[in-house]
Amino acid sequence: MLEEYKKNYAQSVNQYLIVDTEGNIKESDDVIFKKIEGKHISDIHPFFESLTATLTEKNKDLVFSCIHLNDEEGNTIITDIIVKTFDGKKPPLIVILDLTVHYNNYQTTAQVRNESVINSQILELKNEYLKEKEAFKNAFIANFNHELRDPITGILTFSEILKKTGLTDEQTNYIKVMDSSTNYLKQLIEDILDISKIESGKAEIILEPFNLHELLDEIAQIHKINSEKKGLEFITDFNSNLPQIVGGDKMKLRQVLSNLLSNAIKFTEVGSITFKASLNQTRARKANIHFEISDTGIGIPEEDQNSIFESFKQLNHSYKYTGSGLGLAIAKHYVELTGNKITVDSTVGKGSTFSTNLNFRIDPSYKLEKSNNEETSFIESDKKYNILLVDDSEITQLSVLKILASKGNYFLDIATKGEDVIPKVTNYDSPVDLILLDIKLPDINGDEVAKLVRKLPEREHKKIPIIALTARVFKDDLKKYKKAGINDVVKKPFDEDTLLTKIREHLK
Amino acid sequence: MKLSKKVVLIGHFGVGKSSLIRRFVENTFTEDYKVTIGVHILKKDIQIPETNKDVTLVIWDLEGNDDITNTRPSYLIGTHGFIYVFDLTRPNTYKNLEFDLNYIKERYPNLPVKVIGNKKDLVTNEFIKENKEIFKQYVDLYTSAKTGKNVEEVFNQLAKSLV
Repeated sequence: MLEEYKKNYAQSVNQYLIVDTEGNIKESDDVIFKKIEGKHISDIHPFFESLTATLTEKNKDLVFSCIHLNDEEGNTIITDIIVKTFDGKKPPLIVILDLTVHYNNYQTTAQVRNESVINSQILELKNEYLKEKEAFKNAFIANFNHELRDPITGILTFSEILKKTGLTDEQTNYIKVMDSSTNYLKQLIEDILDISKIESGKAEIILEPFNLHELLDEIAQIHKINSEKKGLEFITDFNSNLPQIVGGDKMKLRQVLSNLLSNAIKFTEVGSITFKASLNQTRARKANIHFEISDTGIGIPEEDQNSIFESFKQLNHSYKYTGSGLGLAIAKHYVELTGNKITVDSTVGKGSTFSTNLNFRIDPSYKLEKSNNEETSFIESDKKYNILLVDDSEITQLSVLKILASKGNYFLDIATKGEDVIPKVTNYDSPVDLILLDIKLPDINGDEVAKLVRKLPEREHKKIPIIALTARVFKDDLKKYKKAGINDVVKKPFDEDTLLTKIREHLK
Repeated sequence: MKLSKKVVLIGHFGVGKSSLIRRFVENTFTEDYKVTIGVHILKKDIQIPETNKDVTLVIWDLEGNDDITNTRPSYLIGTHGFIYVFDLTRPNTYKNLEFDLNYIKERYPNLPVKVIGNKKDLVTNEFIKENKEIFKQYVDLYTSAKTGKNVEEVFNQLAKSLV
């Protein structure tokens, strides 16, 4: 019985062969390969060709594992092959062990393992490639933005100066068109920079106390003007119990609401725009505030209501509605950074309502901000101030020169390289009152220049206020500037008011 | 008796050793990856160009291994020449190229070794140029088992150096 079972169920099958030292088969039990006596072993399979040379060696015991052979029916069998040679008196022995079942199981395991390793290597490469692509894109956008800022500053500055030169009505209108185009271009650059910051995960919520009432009024005022230009009614409905001083990201809230309002105005030809804000609840030092912007515009088809928040998405390709298609994407991402969502309710031909609920901190320690007017009050006196501008851009040099010259109480000295700063600052003949410092200088970075100034031995030199003029205003950049001793930053492109306000603030 | 030479293909797993042999011996190709365990042995009779000499190549397709020192020594007994294969799309398969080639040279100093970068169909010439510093000093040929590019050439070149 046992023999019968063994015959039926034994999983490994062994064949024994006796060969001479030249590889001719002398004896075989024909278990796997039949009728092979008298043949050469290389007739069984090419594997044995390379064995022939070993048969002449004495007392060898070789094991070859996992060798694929073909049986007489042409089926693949996976074997271990043992070759034993003796003292030269006895002929060599070859044992073929059929371990196909065992090796097939191993094959399955190896297949899974190798596929998994290869896939993870490919994923790693793809990831690396995407990271490189992302870094290239961000560097490109950052540089591109930087290069655009100087010429825009030039256009904005000289447009302001032109306005004061007694223009005809026609010329004034041309300047208005120029201003509007430049501001649009400026906004586009800001949007592209914002979206690139969001996509690279660099956008962060900056918590600071601010006056919510003032911010809402300011946003409403700007968009009221734009609505009225199109003949639209602008309705505000701000709940009277809204907290006045809250903690939150003022800049991002301004951008979210402004983007939603600009969008509403853009896609509405008749009717009204309604801007609402109401308090949902106050709990655990947090105020939850509902913002809602409604219009009576063209509306959005239901199937497109999600995709309107995608970057560069413009549903309506009519030339009537210009824009980068980034405004809603930026608004959505900023709201999502706070863990909230923007919802849209819209009917084609009737209008749309965008709404969101946002949390703000309420803290009794928050104090009212000084109003901008108070901060910037500066009485032009007879005193003359020496301003040192460190910037290699001729456009910026000319813009700053024109802005300061129009006021009459500033002397401007210009340095185009970082290395020229210290000799000018330490020159007792004309003491510098304030430094306007570009960051991307041809020799050393502006923040390094600031560090050198702060290390000067004389108090009157090392305490000179330094304002950076730069397009690089990521959170990390601002930290770096502060650490280097830079007092303030004016973002390029800047306009006359912004620059003068900052200069006055630091000269007070 | 016809001249017979044992040629061993060696390299990481998944680099296309089996595909190269199948392309050379059977002129076929499949995208499906089937891992090789142990060793497959195929042979092909060729006539070496220029010399018109006939030779039988007994080609050993070894299981891929990311560490050459783990190669079973018994597989290499009686070898006449090596083809070292790496995958141009996976840096892991050529990051130890220098070490692997030295390992072979130290143990088999007199045997010819052809080094080939496979899957050429998946990379651009620009990629090859960009990585010239790595490939230039080692690589003999860039092959594609998929398109057949340089496959005959690599076996012919090796065979020529064996006779």
